[in-house]
Amino acid sequence: MKKILQLSLGIITSVGGFLEIGSVTTAAQAGAQFGYKLLWAILLGTLCLIFLIEMSGRLAAVSKHTIVDAIRERFGFPFFFFVLLGTVLVAFMVLVAELGGIGFALQILTGIRFPWWALPVSFVVWLLMWKGTFSLIENGASLLGLVTVSFVVAALRLNPDWTSAASGLLPTLPDDDKSKYWFLAVSILGASISPYLTFFYSSGAIEDKWDRTYLPINRVIAAFGMTFGGLLSMAVLIVAALALRPKGIQVETFQQAALMMTTALPKWGFYLFALSMLFACFGAALEISLAISYFFSQGFGWNWSEDVEPSSDARFAFVYTLIIGFAAVPLMFGVDPIKITMMSMALTSATLPLAIVPFLFLMNDPIYLGKHRNGWISNTVVGVVILISFVLAVVSIPLEIMGG
Amino acid sequence: MKRLLFATVILLVSCKPPTPAEQMDAILSWVGSAIVLGNGWLRHTTPDTYTRQTLTLSHDQLRQIGAELLKSPPATIDSTELDGALTRSGTHLARMAQLVEARNSPGFNQVLDSLELDQKALKQLSDKIESSQ
Repeated sequence: MKKILQLSLGIITSVGGFLEIGSVTTAAQAGAQFGYKLLWAILLGTLCLIFLIEMSGRLAAVSKHTIVDAIRERFGFPFFFFVLLGTVLVAFMVLVAELGGIGFALQILTGIRFPWWALPVSFVVWLLMWKGTFSLIENGASLLGLVTVSFVVAALRLNPDWTSAASGLLPTLPDDDKSKYWFLAVSILGASISPYLTFFYSSGAIEDKWDRTYLPINRVIAAFGMTFGGLLSMAVLIVAALALRPKGIQVETFQQAALMMTTALPKWGFYLFALSMLFACFGAALEISLAISYFFSQGFGWNWSEDVEPSSDARFAFVYTLIIGFAAVPLMFGVDPIKITMMSMALTSATLPLAIVPFLFLMNDPIYLGKHRNGWISNTVVGVVILISFVLAVVSIPLEIMGG
Repeated sequence: MKRLLFATVILLVSCKPPTPAEQMDAILSWVGSAIVLGNGWLRHTTPDTYTRQTLTLSHDQLRQIGAELLKSPPATIDSTELDGALTRSGTHLARMAQLVEARNSPGFNQVLDSLELDQKALKQLSDKIESSQ
């Protein structure tokens, strides 16, 4: 009974915690500019994420190691440090974007500009980290994030042509603006396959004391939770394609993004959008702060757990205190969260091999996984998607930067 | 060597500023946003502060992108006509923001109708630019 409850909660929290500033912004921009043409990128990213999440839970349940623990142990500290630099830098940018997303949600609700929210929002995030427990952060924020299901309601209300939508699941090139198309594809992949999610998930499995009996639960949570989450991202893209594209509206700011929901759900759309952004970004900010602290603490061999008093793992608490504080600074100076979001999502794609390739090696190591190591399907799907994301990122990021 | 040349060409092409067609798309995007927003405000589905701030943002963006576009207007269109359409749209956006503050729905509705006419004029100009490229 306890496991069934955990299973249901796991799926619900995966769905509620799936959307964040990156997935909303990239999907909205894609839908507004290219209609359904980039649905395939969400499908590909979600498929890869299902495998990665399942793998990270399996590693923790079987080997009792988090990903970071195992990378450091298997590859040594110098290599781990290299992975840490790349991954944490990108995760930090994503954290800035998430805090900015909360600030923007509060701006459109209150009229007070987002730089003014940077400090109060960061303080609340920090306070929850300081006082909260792992399950509060994992479940509380994600349950609030269920408001993002309103995007599915909005998509259904707009009555999409399902045949056209289905055709978007296969890649097709647009007639013009191809560099923007590829940049958006890369950003969508980066938003879907966020390595911090795998670090967070494997650390959570250790915090929740998973063992081999959790393997079936892990598989179901990964498959259903991520599939439903991917459907939410697709719903955002569909709403933007139907509500914004016919009117020629591109999503350059959050103010414009909010319009997609006011078209689909006139009465409540605006508030549902604002609350969706608020809760989704809040949950993601907590998860990323935790993931970065896990990364440092597990890598350097410090005490770590969100379930103990900060005095018992002072260095763990110090890391999130420091990074949340630093993340507020660019926002206080008015740096545009949407620009940071797009760039950090694309950079996530570019740095995926750094975090995921060592992880793939671990998942094939009999010392860690024994008979539970990866089969060829997991290796092929993850390997191919990571390769595609990396190549597209390396080609499209310079084009986008220099194209302005 | 061929690869190096190809990379250089790609970089040079990508360094170019936005084309007039892209600038017109951005202008139409902001005008379209203001129209959707305006209709929402008239239906009482968007709050006053958000509506006013977004209309002001649309106005500022329109002026900025329009000024860039008018520095070197495309030869295929009459720049006076473009300037006129941009000025009228900008004035209407600024007026709409004021009317939201005054909560003057009838007046707002009238200006919104005028903005929709501006949108048509800008769309025609945009089509001309696009067909010439």
